[in-house]
Order: sequence, then structure tokens, then C-alpha cells
Amino acid sequence: MAESKLDLLQGTLDLMALQTLAVMGPLHGYGIARRIEQVSGDRVLLNQGTIYASLVRLQQRGWISAEWGTSSNNRKAKFYSITKKGRKRLAEDAVYWQRLSGVMGRVLGMQGEGENS
Amino acid sequence: MIHWLRHSFERLRSVFQRAELDQELDTELAAHLELAIEENLQRGMSSEEARRRALISLGGTEQAKEHHREARGLPAVDTFFQDVRYAARGTVKTPGFTVAAVLTLGLGIAANATMFSMVSGFLLRRPPGRDPERVVVVTSVSPAQGFQPDANAVSAPNYLAWRAAGNIFENMAATDNYRAVSLTSQGQTTSVPSEAVTPEYFTVLGVSPHLGRIFAEGDDQPGRDHVVILSHELWDREFGSDSSLIGRSVRLNREDYTVIGVMPANFQMLGFTPQLWTPLVVTAADQTAAARRNRSLYVFARLKPGVTLAQARAEMKTLGRRAEEDFPDTEKGWGVAARTLPDFLVYLFGIRSALVVMMTVVGFVLLIACANVAGLLLARAGTRGKELAIRMSLGASRLRIVRQLLTEGLIIALLGGGAGLLLAYWGVKFVRANMAFNEAASAVPLSLDWNVLLFALGVSMLSAILCSLAPALTASRTDINSNLKDQSRAASAGRSQSRLRTVLVTAEIAMALFLLIGTGLLIRGVFLIQHQALGFQAEHQITAGVTLDSARYKDPVQQTLFVKDLLPRLRQLPGVGAVAAVSELPATGAGHVTLLIQGQPELPADQRPRTVDVIVTDDYFRTAGIPLLRGRAFTGLDNAAAPRVAVVNQEFVRRYLKDQDPLGKQVRLDLSGSTPAWSEIVGVVGNVKFYSETTRYDPELYEPFLQRPVSSFSLMVRTSSDPNGLASDLRKTVAQADLELPLAHVMSMSTIIERQKGGDLLFMQMLAALALLALTLAAIGIYGLISYSVGQRTHEIAIRMALGATGGDVRRMVLSQGVKMVSIGAAIGLVVALPLPRVFAAVFSDIDTSDPRTYVIVLVAIFLVALLATYVPARRASALDPIRALHSE
Repeated sequence: MAESKLDLLQGTLDLMALQTLAVMGPLHGYGIARRIEQVSGDRVLLNQGTIYASLVRLQQRGWISAEWGTSSNNRKAKFYSITKKGRKRLAEDAVYWQRLSGVMGRVLGMQGEGENS
Repeated sequence: MIHWLRHSFERLRSVFQRAELDQELDTELAAHLELAIEENLQRGMSSEEARRRALISLGGTEQAKEHHREARGLPAVDTFFQDVRYAARGTVKTPGFTVAAVLTLGLGIAANATMFSMVSGFLLRRPPGRDPERVVVVTSVSPAQGFQPDANAVSAPNYLAWRAAGNIFENMAATDNYRAVSLTSQGQTTSVPSEAVTPEYFTVLGVSPHLGRIFAEGDDQPGRDHVVILSHELWDREFGSDSSLIGRSVRLNREDYTVIGVMPANFQMLGFTPQLWTPLVVTAADQTAAARRNRSLYVFARLKPGVTLAQARAEMKTLGRRAEEDFPDTEKGWGVAARTLPDFLVYLFGIRSALVVMMTVVGFVLLIACANVAGLLLARAGTRGKELAIRMSLGASRLRIVRQLLTEGLIIALLGGGAGLLLAYWGVKFVRANMAFNEAASAVPLSLDWNVLLFALGVSMLSAILCSLAPALTASRTDINSNLKDQSRAASAGRSQSRLRTVLVTAEIAMALFLLIGTGLLIRGVFLIQHQALGFQAEHQITAGVTLDSARYKDPVQQTLFVKDLLPRLRQLPGVGAVAAVSELPATGAGHVTLLIQGQPELPADQRPRTVDVIVTDDYFRTAGIPLLRGRAFTGLDNAAAPRVAVVNQEFVRRYLKDQDPLGKQVRLDLSGSTPAWSEIVGVVGNVKFYSETTRYDPELYEPFLQRPVSSFSLMVRTSSDPNGLASDLRKTVAQADLELPLAHVMSMSTIIERQKGGDLLFMQMLAALALLALTLAAIGIYGLISYSVGQRTHEIAIRMALGATGGDVRRMVLSQGVKMVSIGAAIGLVVALPLPRVFAAVFSDIDTSDPRTYVIVLVAIFLVALLATYVPARRASALDPIRALHSE
């Protein structure tokens, strides 16, 4: 069980992309995908293609912006960067996720009262 | 909120920028792959491996695109457009199927739209004025059976009493409709239908004039009552829309009236066609007890705010009961009814039940058409089983397949709706052209208005669902495996599909039979009325309406003198056989009065015998060709000085003087405004139909004109040649007698009867056309199913023939399939149609609709048509060449 990769929950990829852009500055889609894979220690099951659905969603909401530029290998690529609105959103969502994961940890760590006595 | 709006807008925009966005994504994905490959190469992979791994990580470019589209756009809209494109391609690719389906639905929708244009024109049109639903029309309820007994006009004393007592109405007005005045303009005198109204009338309705003013308080006071308001049409036609006419005077009934206003063009109420309005003057004579019998007013009142119709009804009921108690002699048995104005107009026009029947019929026609198209779609779905299976194996969900099939149905239905509206355009034209028989009906503007367009759209949507639901549900149950494995050339329709089609066609036959029996019974009933003997001779008669105005013909003496002067002049005209004046033309629905018969107990007012009461000049029976059976007709000696006499018809004798000698009996009519007098029955004549459109005979009593002159009557002139040729001579002769006296409705008696029949004729034609349409559609349904199943069974039939079955065997086999279906369908339809005569009897009391022969004839006709529709494909099957059929597999 330990080896199988994590399936991403709905919406988590959006948050990961936002965080990546906030930390790394402007990046193209491939860069974002690779960065997430590396940070997660290759533990998430990332279908790299889905990052683009995530990016267009974020862009339509005005949380990131995009610009055509040239990649390190001199190819035309779209570079994404986080907007002010996006940073605000990221802060809110990060707090939410931290609270949720804290609660989840406590709920899942809960033990029956008479079980270990 | 703004956020959400912006996002929605972005998504919507992306639906329309699909190509551009797709291209951008392509570039982006290409860059992505390059970067990934490069990184993999740097890690030391072979170029092939690097590319493979890059592709795996990306997870498929097509899927990535699909995710992208879903994320950025509106997937539902996208899918819908995709379905529409796909369906549109499908309809273009199979033109035969499309044309058949669109035409079938188009015919069904056209029938519905045409009929609904009548519903919209007659039933849905709002009367003019402010909040017409708050206007209540109060009518008397007659104790006698008859045509619309609960919409009887009201007497002046009742109107006055109600107006004085009412505290639930803001205001109340009375109108005397159906008056005729003579209008003299530019030396020409014409008879114009007019309405006399109390001054509050237009205020009650809440309408404003186009020009000038409406009536005000005091306009009905004697001396100030010579004011007139014109209809827009009359103002336009007679006075060239001259705005300076206000304040000037026009000549009505030989007197000068000041024009004070012109009503707007849209001031029209269903069934009422007055061209001008004058004040209704309520005189002292209108307040006497005798005036209670003279019921000629309609009462309009506006409810006070907050008062409901139910409260108004209760209040009026109380007032009616009070009148019954206070004046039992005249009011016994009479009640009061109240309706809202829109309801009243539609009720009085009496077209609702005919329209309900027609709408039901077209509804069934549409169902049959839908069943046909559903059958076509099912058959097509059968041949497309493999295609659908492939799409499903590629990941299309069942819901997606159902939605796609529904979209196809929708496209066909909308095309059908378009075709239907096009056909309905001519349908409405036809109906309008055939409604010209009646001023009131032809005044109703029929068109493809918004109501009709919306209705047609709704009907199209409904048809789309009805047509494609069955195929969609069947298709969604497609078993992918068996369908893909199926090796047969023509992927055969599943068992469930052909069973469903059989059910559909059986239902079609049941509906067609039901419809044909229903329309057959009605058509026969109407036909009988159309061709019934009326009891008098309608041919070779020319008639004209005369209304003697009170300015010149104030009293009975002058009225008598006029008639005595005019009739001999008319008799002198060449080609004239006989001439008479009559208060009501025969078979045009005369009024009734109650009477006393000497020697019989004097019953309360509501139980007294009733008779049609007609006043005629002495030559009437000979002119009209009504046979004298006993006693004598009137002569010139039956004048005001002589003892009063009367002639009755056979029905009168049968009903009221059973087995007695009618001659010499004394009768006394309950008449308004005259002292009761006894008359002696001196003759018995043949029955005349009460109205040309009913089958019933009513008791009739005739009185001589000289003994009871009236100011309004019709002339009846019997000619030896074409009666219409005499019209100008007739006008000239009347002008010689009185230059300023107009004749109304100069037309032959046959034309009058034709006009009365007009509505029925149209009704009959439309019913017949719809029945034929239903039968044709059902036949097409049977034909389509049988020939399809023969096509499907080619292989089987070929084997049977190869094994020795003859052409006859095959024909019998196919025919029996059809016969089975028709028998079951016909049996169901027959059972459902059995109670029809009773239903019709309740709706159309005047039409005889019980005729077992109709059932038999329709049954035989359905079987013949169905057999013919089955025989054609059966013959084709039996002519099959088994060798070739088997080789081609």
C-alpha cells in the first residue's frame, strides 16, 4: 500500500499550482508540473496534462496571468505568474487546508476510549 | 457576485473561441513535450524512450485537451453544440428519412397551429379596456330549456333595481345591443348596426375614445340624448377619418345627432359589431311591471376593489331571489348569472365546445404523427446499433447517447415545426376565407400571432420528446458486446425495438379508429342538419330587414299604413310571385313567449307553455311555402277592428292540445307593454325548424300583422327567377315608399341559411380533412413498419422460399402480421370510441350523433386501408428471388 501514489483530491492541484507560482515566480506548464512532482517526492499521481485544465481555471478566475515567452530551450511557451488576487486567495486557501489537515489528522488519530486500556 | 459573473462570462466566451483556444493549447502541449523529452535525454535515455516517457507522463494529449475544454468552457453547451452538429450531419446524410419525418411532424404541427390560431383569436383575445377580468356581465337565467338559457338578456326594471341595490360594484351600465339605425350621409341612407348604452358604459369598461369624449352623466336625459359616438371603422368608411367631425351633426333615423367621439380601432368585442353608440334612454315605461317581460339589456358592471366574482354572484343571486318573491308573475323561475367579461364574450359566442373538439382531434393527429416519427427513429436506431456501440466503447456515457438522440429528435421536430408553421400559414388563410359567412366571426383577426408561435414551439418540443424518447431509451440499453460481435450485414433491430414499433403502430391504429369514429359521427350529424327539410321553401326568396324609426312611424297606425302601402308595390314588380312581412324570418331562431290556453289551468310563470311567436302579414304562408293543414290562413279582414286570431303549427297542437280540436281554441300570450288579449286559433300549418342548425321543432304561433303591428320586421319576396336579381328593384321600390328608410341585409333566403350553416360547413370540412390526415398517417405507419420488417427478414424469407414456401405462403405470413396488429389496434380503438355518442350528446345537444353504422363503416375502412398498406410490402416479399437474396448476404 505504501508504494501506490496519491490520487489528487478535487481542487488540490489548483492550490499546488498557485503555491508553486507564488514561490517560484513565472513558470510554464511543464515547469509547474515537474516542480510539484519533485516537491512531493514523486508521491502524487500527477497526470501532467491535467495541469493545463487547472491553469485555465485559475486564469479565468483572475488568480494567475499568462504570457507567451521563450523557454530555456528556445521554444515558444506560455509562462504563468500569480496575480495579487491570486496571492490573497492562496493565503485563504492555505489556512483552510492547514486547518482541514489538522482536523483530519486528529479525527483519524482518534482512539476508542476503552480500546487501549 | 462580480467575480462569479466574470468567470461565467469567460467560460461562455471560450465556447465561442474554441478553435483559437485549442490551437494555443496545442502549442503549449508541444512545448511541454519538447521540454520533457529534453530533460529525459539529459538523464541518458534513448530518444525513443525519452519520447515515450514524456507522453506517458503527460497522460495523452487528447485527454489533456478534453480536460482543458471542460475546465475552461461550459461542457453542457459544448456537448449540445456537438450533438447539434452531429445530428445536423445525420439529417443531411439521410435525406429520405429526414424529409419523411419532417413532413409527417410538419403536418401534425400545422394542424395544431392552425387550430390554435382560432383558440388564440377567439378564446385568448383580451377584450378592450382596463382590467377586463374585473368587469362582470350580469344576465338573466331563463327557466326554459333552450340555447344558452343562462345568458338571457335582462329587463330594464331588474337593471334599475340591481343598480340601486348594488354595493359591490363601482358602477353599472346597461346596453341594448343589436339595434339598427338608418344613417343618411351624402344622400345615401344605409342601415347601420348600433348599440344603445347607458352613459356609464365606456367608463365601466375603462376605455378612452380615439377622438372627442365618451358619454357623460346627463347624456341620457330626454332632449340631450341626440349625441352619438362612432366606431373607428364607420368614421373611416363614411366620413374619411375627418377629425373635424367632432361637434358636427350626422343624420340618424331622420334626426340630427351630434358626434361627440370616435372609439379606437381596437375597441372590438367578440360577437358584437356595432358601428355606433347612442345613449340608452330609460323611460318611465321601462319601469312598469309590464316592462319586466321585455328582456333586452345586457348589464356590465365593474367590481369594487377587493370584491371577488364569487361575492358578486352571491349578491346577484340574492337580488334575483328578491325579484322572484316580489314579482312572481313575471320573475318566477328566473335567476341571475354573473360572468367576467372575457368569459361572457366567449360563452355567448358559443364556439368553445367546437374548438375543444377540434383541439382534441388535432392533438390525436399529432400523437399519430409522433408515433410515426418515433417508429422511423426506432428503425434507424436499429441500423445504427453498431455505431452507437462503437461510440459507447470509446467512452460515451449512456446519458450522452440519450442526449444525442434527443437532440436529433429536437432537430427533426424543430424542422417539422418550421414546416408546420409554413403550412399553417395557408391553413389560417383557408380558415379565415371560410369564416366570412358571419360578420362577428370575420371580425376576429386570425393570424399566426405570438400565442400561436409559442404554442407551435411548445408542440415541437413536446413532439421531440415524444418521438425520440422511445428510441433513446432503447438505444441506451444497447449491449456493446453483442452489437459489436454481430456480424450480420444489416445490423438487425433488437427484439425489443421491433416490439416497441409494433406497439406504436397498434396504438396509431387505435387512435386513428377512435378519431375516425368521432369525426365520422359528428360529420354525419352535421350533414343531416345541413340537408334537413326546413319546413318551408327557402329557394327563390329574397329578403330584407326593415326597422321603422320612431321619428316618422310613431304608432301602430303608421306602421300598418307603411306595410299596406309597400307590399302591393312590391307585388307589382316583374317576376314576383308573392310578398309578405314577417317579424322573424323562418328557421332563424325567433324568440319565445309564454301563453295561457283557455280551459287549461293557469300555471305559475315558469311552468306555462312556451311558443315561438311570429307576426306575419296575410300572404305569409303562401310566400314562404308553409302548408296550411287545417282551418284558414290570415286575410286582410283580420285587422285591428276584427276579433283577434292566431294560427299555430302542428307541434303546438301535439304538445299543448293533445287530441283536441285546435280550431276555435282561445290563447293569450304574456306580452310586455300591451294589455293581454285572447285570440282564437283559426288554422294549423306545417312545422318549420326553429333554427336551420337544429333538428328540433318548436311550437309556433302566428299572429296577423294588422292586429299586432311591429316596427322591426323582414320582407320576404318570392320570385320566379334568381332572387338576387331583384335586389335593386326591391331597394328602389322601398325608396319610392320612403326615401330615408334603409334596407338591412338584402339577401336571398338561401344565402341566410347558407350563412347560418357556414360555421358548420367549415367545422365539417376541417374535421374531414383531419380525419383523412390521421388515416393517411396511420396507413404510412403500418406500411413503414411492415416493409421495414420485410426488409429485415429478407434472409429468413429467402430461406423459407428456398425450402419450398410459395409466394402465397410468404404473402399470407406478412399479411397476417399486419392483420394481427390492425385487429388489436382496432379492438382497442372501438372500445374507447363506444361512449362517444353520449359525450357528444352532452356537448352538441342539437346534433344526432348516435349511429352504429358509422362504427361499421369506419372499421371496414380502417381494415381496407391497413390491408392495402400491408399488401404492398407483402407482395414485394413474395416476389423475392431467394437465390439472389441469399447470395447477397
